Amino acid sequence: MKKPFKLLIIDDSEEILTALTNFFTQKNYEVTSAANGLDGLKYIEAKDASFDLVITDLVLPNISGVAIISIVKKKFPDTPVIAITGWGEHPESLAKEAHADYVLEKPFKLPELEALAKKLLK
Amino acid sequence: MSEQSKSKMGPPIIGVSKNMERVRELIEHVAHTGLNTVVFGESGVGKEVVAQNLYQKSPRLGKPFIKINCAALPEGLLESELFGYERGAFTGAEQKKKGKFQLAHSGVLLLDEIGDMSLPLQAKLLHVLQSGGEFSPLGSEKEVRADTWVIAATNHDLKKDIEEGRFREDLYYRLNIIKIYIAPLRDRPEDIPPLIDFYIKEYTSMLNNRHIAKPDDTVIDRLCAYSWPGNVRELQNVLKRMLVLGDCTQIVDELFESEQFVAREDGGAEELNHHASLARILDLGGENSPEKQSFSLKTAKKKAVEMVEREIISHVLQKTEWNRSKASKILKISYKTLLYKISDLGIVPPEKGN
Repeated sequence: MKKPFKLLIIDDSEEILTALTNFFTQKNYEVTSAANGLDGLKYIEAKDASFDLVITDLVLPNISGVAIISIVKKKFPDTPVIAITGWGEHPESLAKEAHADYVLEKPFKLPELEALAKKLLK
Repeated sequence: MSEQSKSKMGPPIIGVSKNMERVRELIEHVAHTGLNTVVFGESGVGKEVVAQNLYQKSPRLGKPFIKINCAALPEGLLESELFGYERGAFTGAEQKKKGKFQLAHSGVLLLDEIGDMSLPLQAKLLHVLQSGGEFSPLGSEKEVRADTWVIAATNHDLKKDIEEGRFREDLYYRLNIIKIYIAPLRDRPEDIPPLIDFYIKEYTSMLNNRHIAKPDDTVIDRLCAYSWPGNVRELQNVLKRMLVLGDCTQIVDELFESEQFVAREDGGAEELNHHASLARILDLGGENSPEKQSFSLKTAKKKAVEMVEREIISHVLQKTEWNRSKASKILKISYKTLLYKISDLGIVPPEKGN
């Protein structure tokens, strides 16, 4: 069997975080989840971390999703990042400037997100 | 390291509360990033100390650390301080001057009280941040580029300021890439004993280690129970007073007395009166109430001025028995202006025989 892809998902909304985590776990991804930017960053900076894909909300307490994208892209330029954002939120352009691979607006369908993930993981 | 930077070495982040642990952790994790940061917290909690700690843990240590208070200067002056100007850019600009943005190149620019920055200047700051640090000094055609780490600090609730149209939402998101919140001291009393320890040691060495009375356990317990409206800065002042004056118990007594006084005043008649006139100015519940969209400081200010004018003019008219010519001389306004004000402010002469 092939090794599962490692995913890091960061979102401060418990419902969304649980929904995304359950969805991707069922699809056989190895999911790590974090409810705020600092916890997410700790996983990213951990010694044995090697995420294949990061999915992050943009507006987060303490360390924002924009910061997460900048830090990931600086440290691991090859790791793709998908930013998810609430409708009409400003930081969308900031996410693009920080070189997020995709910015996905809420609400979105889970298969839509998975399709994007698959595309980036190829 | 230059002298300038050395002098900016701030104290460490002191405290054992969850909030302080989180602040220290955030500093450790983000200091190397140089990403725009906003430090939130009430006056006196130590926002500048956090900014200094970020700087000290960053690769920018040893480079300039420049601070500017956005509330202390009028708009035009703040703009020229931030971005600099060319000789002859405006009356009085006799020498070319570099702006703080440029002076902070390769280092840190701390924008203190960012919530008090005017909207036009917020727009200019946003533009500079969007362009990656490019701007032109006043009166100059040339663009300057500064690689400056912007750390902003505020005691405002910027989200609320955005709702009320006093702060730009786009600037908020651009600055708020990293957010560090420092809780008020009353919400983390467990930090008070370590803070006392730290500052007593520091002040003792400043006083050449002279033998000085230190607060005993009872005093420390009482200090932990106090509400500290002025936060750590107030604690520092109280400790200094204790070390210099020696009488710790009396100083704590006074602290609690003033606290009770404020509490009493809140329910007292005088305070009520004050609140009543403030309520009138604010038009609480009325058209110009701050809860209403139509509220503006300008209208409130106009009302306040009118109220004071009405009282003073009525008082003088009463004293001169409504001799308007005499009254206008006392008030140092023209007779015509006085007549206008009397009718405009609706001041009516007392009824005859009253």
